[in-house]
Amino acid sequence: MTEATNAELLDAAAGGDQRAWDALVERFSGLVWSIARAHRLSAADAADVSQTAWLRLVENLGRIRDPERVGAWLATTTRNECLRVIRKSGRQVPTDMEVDDEPPDLDSPPPDRGVLTDERDAALWRAFSSISERCQVLLRLLMADPRPSYEEICAVLGMPQGSIGPTRQRCLDKLRDKAGITSLLGDS
Amino acid sequence: MTDEANGTDEADERLLGALRTVVGAADPVPTEVVEAAKASLTWRSIDAELAELAYDSLLDDGLLVGTRSESSPRSLTFETADVTVEVEVVDMGAHRRLLGQLVPPGPADIQVRHSGGLIRVGADEVGRFTAAGVAPGPVSLRCRVTGAGAAPVETPWVVV
Repeated sequence: MTEATNAELLDAAAGGDQRAWDALVERFSGLVWSIARAHRLSAADAADVSQTAWLRLVENLGRIRDPERVGAWLATTTRNECLRVIRKSGRQVPTDMEVDDEPPDLDSPPPDRGVLTDERDAALWRAFSSISERCQVLLRLLMADPRPSYEEICAVLGMPQGSIGPTRQRCLDKLRDKAGITSLLGDS
Repeated sequence: MTDEANGTDEADERLLGALRTVVGAADPVPTEVVEAAKASLTWRSIDAELAELAYDSLLDDGLLVGTRSESSPRSLTFETADVTVEVEVVDMGAHRRLLGQLVPPGPADIQVRHSGGLIRVGADEVGRFTAAGVAPGPVSLRCRVTGAGAAPVETPWVVV
């Protein structure tokens, strides 16, 4: 089941196959959660957004135009729900121009639940939490496994495809800067 | 679509790899979120027509944007070719109250699907309905218009 394609899993799930659906959830729930948290949603809001994204997929089973790209479909749906939540709370919706901006609330980064015992890891987590939302969302998409294509990423973020490479570069450099990573090879 | 291999990209890949590990450890998906996602397949329906969210006051730039403390109700309009479902969501604090109107007006059975389960209400002879005690979170209405042979209509899940 783990080697089934997205299209095969979607097709089976559309027929009511719970195991196929579970496999889809396991494949993409990390990505959905990741995007919600990158938008600085609380755990409760992120859980709501996640649930909505998956329910939207359920109601569209059998209707997805490009089943292999269901990851991008989920990512886009998740992002749209995040923007709704942000609007509801009166926060500013992040735009294109804010790659270099500080995130709006500079209080302590979300707790790492005490699992990051390595100080370098903890520093990297703090640094990641302090870069702009725009960068966090992009990097979370790039980190996702399976990694979405640049085409899918620009569909999610509404960026022109040519700007993903340079923006990724700026975001990673910003992250290096914040984490004190001076070596080009990425070792802190 | 792959990047050309060069020193910078290798360094970037290493950093992304380190990030993946760190972020995955620091902020994993909660188990209950995964379980809830798996359970959502039970909401799958095979016979309903999915309405379109034609209007959401939350996304209406023409309205004055209120903060959570203001009590202006949320307005939603769902449409199929044959039926329109208008819903006002009143925030009662711990719960939501839905005030609905079907167009064309007429009686119907309404199932309010929400995170608390299912609430069954009827729309009256002029298509009005009310549902109280709706849990905050994703909501979808399943409407079966009385007497019509047509498929029930389901509204896309919306967080209220």
